[in-house]
Amino acid sequence: MSLIRTVEISKTFGANEVMRKVSMTAEQGEVIAVIGPSGAGKSTLLRALCGLETITDGEIYIDDELLEKRSEGREVEKINSERRKEMLLRLGMVFQRFNLFPHKTARENIMLAPINVKKMSTKEAEAKANALLDRVGLSDKADEYPSRLSGGQQQRVAIARALAMEPEVMLFDEPTSALDPELVGEVLTVMSDLAKSGTSMIVVTHEMGFAREAANKVIFMCDGELAEEAPPSEFFSNPKNPRARQFLRSIL
Amino acid sequence: MNAIEQIINWMPALVRASGWTLALTVTSVFAALAISIFLALGKISHKPYLKYPSSAYVFFFRGTPLLMQLFFIYYALPNLVPAFTIKSRFMAAFIAFSLNVAAYLAEIIRAAIESIDKGQMEASRTLGLSYVQAMRLVIIPQAYRRMIPPICNEFIMVLKDTSLVSIIAVTDLTFQTKMIASNKASQLVYIPSMIIYLIMTGFFTIIFNKLEKKFAIYD
Repeated sequence: MSLIRTVEISKTFGANEVMRKVSMTAEQGEVIAVIGPSGAGKSTLLRALCGLETITDGEIYIDDELLEKRSEGREVEKINSERRKEMLLRLGMVFQRFNLFPHKTARENIMLAPINVKKMSTKEAEAKANALLDRVGLSDKADEYPSRLSGGQQQRVAIARALAMEPEVMLFDEPTSALDPELVGEVLTVMSDLAKSGTSMIVVTHEMGFAREAANKVIFMCDGELAEEAPPSEFFSNPKNPRARQFLRSIL
Repeated sequence: MNAIEQIINWMPALVRASGWTLALTVTSVFAALAISIFLALGKISHKPYLKYPSSAYVFFFRGTPLLMQLFFIYYALPNLVPAFTIKSRFMAAFIAFSLNVAAYLAEIIRAAIESIDKGQMEASRTLGLSYVQAMRLVIIPQAYRRMIPPICNEFIMVLKDTSLVSIIAVTDLTFQTKMIASNKASQLVYIPSMIIYLIMTGFFTIIFNKLEKKFAIYD
């Protein structure tokens, strides 16, 4: 059983095709690094999975259950919206620009969704938030507002916030791209720990070190297409796709 | 009788009239706030049956003079539709002001909501919050702070604009001032009246500044 499976998903904005016939799967416990030049459709893929972007064509399955099936923008199969919402809850999302709620403290940021979506008691949610803050090493910042936290700390809170909903798979959209270089490490450490603990992850990233060490699969995207899929050892030492070779040469 | 004594003699009448000015301002701004939240959310909505009526409402009430709306409700409407006869002048003024101010507040609220970063709604949705929950728990609380200065501005405009109701003989501060000026043939009365207006607008400016600070705790 695959956690996520896409079948030839495409996304067009008018005449601009930003993602073309991408088919991929994510298995339980897998850590997938999605890499490629900017404008390759990496973020679009992630945003399509978590429902922030509507695909134009193709099928998306979560746990082998159909989430979305479209053809030329039209819904081919109508999915019950409650069911859809429930399925999307299995995906946690971490954004490039953190998107913490600035009017809530770190702890409140984490508690908001469990209380309002899962109807968890305040007490229970608070205990959970405290445990998660501890996990990302920010117990001492629980009562701080995001504006008082560094970028790296904000992103770690954002990771804890997504984890609080106990998703089956965590999606990361360039989680370190908006960070000052000296803050990248602390976020990658948290992500590596997550990967080691068996969390399924799909990470759009420019951090090749992370892709090489933490991922078990690399997906290379270019011009909206999935150009190559390989284990990191194979991909980084011997990329088959010429555009992947060129990309690696340009960044390494 | 010297000027000071005159002014002291007018004071009770002026203060009583200020009460009506204040009552009209506060009640109509509150009513307008209630209406405007729906208008603002309607304008933001992508659903045509919410979007277009809200836009049309704002277009109409911002695009026609407030005085004419007041005349229409008090004089014209009872003739056109007898069922809508409003006997109380104050009530007519209250309705006209509420409807009119709602259009302006709707624009303020809409702008404040739309100024909140799109990432906030995206983060809310991926956490499983519904659109309404995201609005209520995440977007609108952040928008509050940005609304307060322009709403304060609007409130003070309304307080001054209520002087228009003197034309349909609501006994507000302007009406009372005019009465004293013509009956007692003394133009001096305009000075204490304007000072009373200043005290009222000054008072509300301070209140709103405090409110703004209260909502600024998180940055």
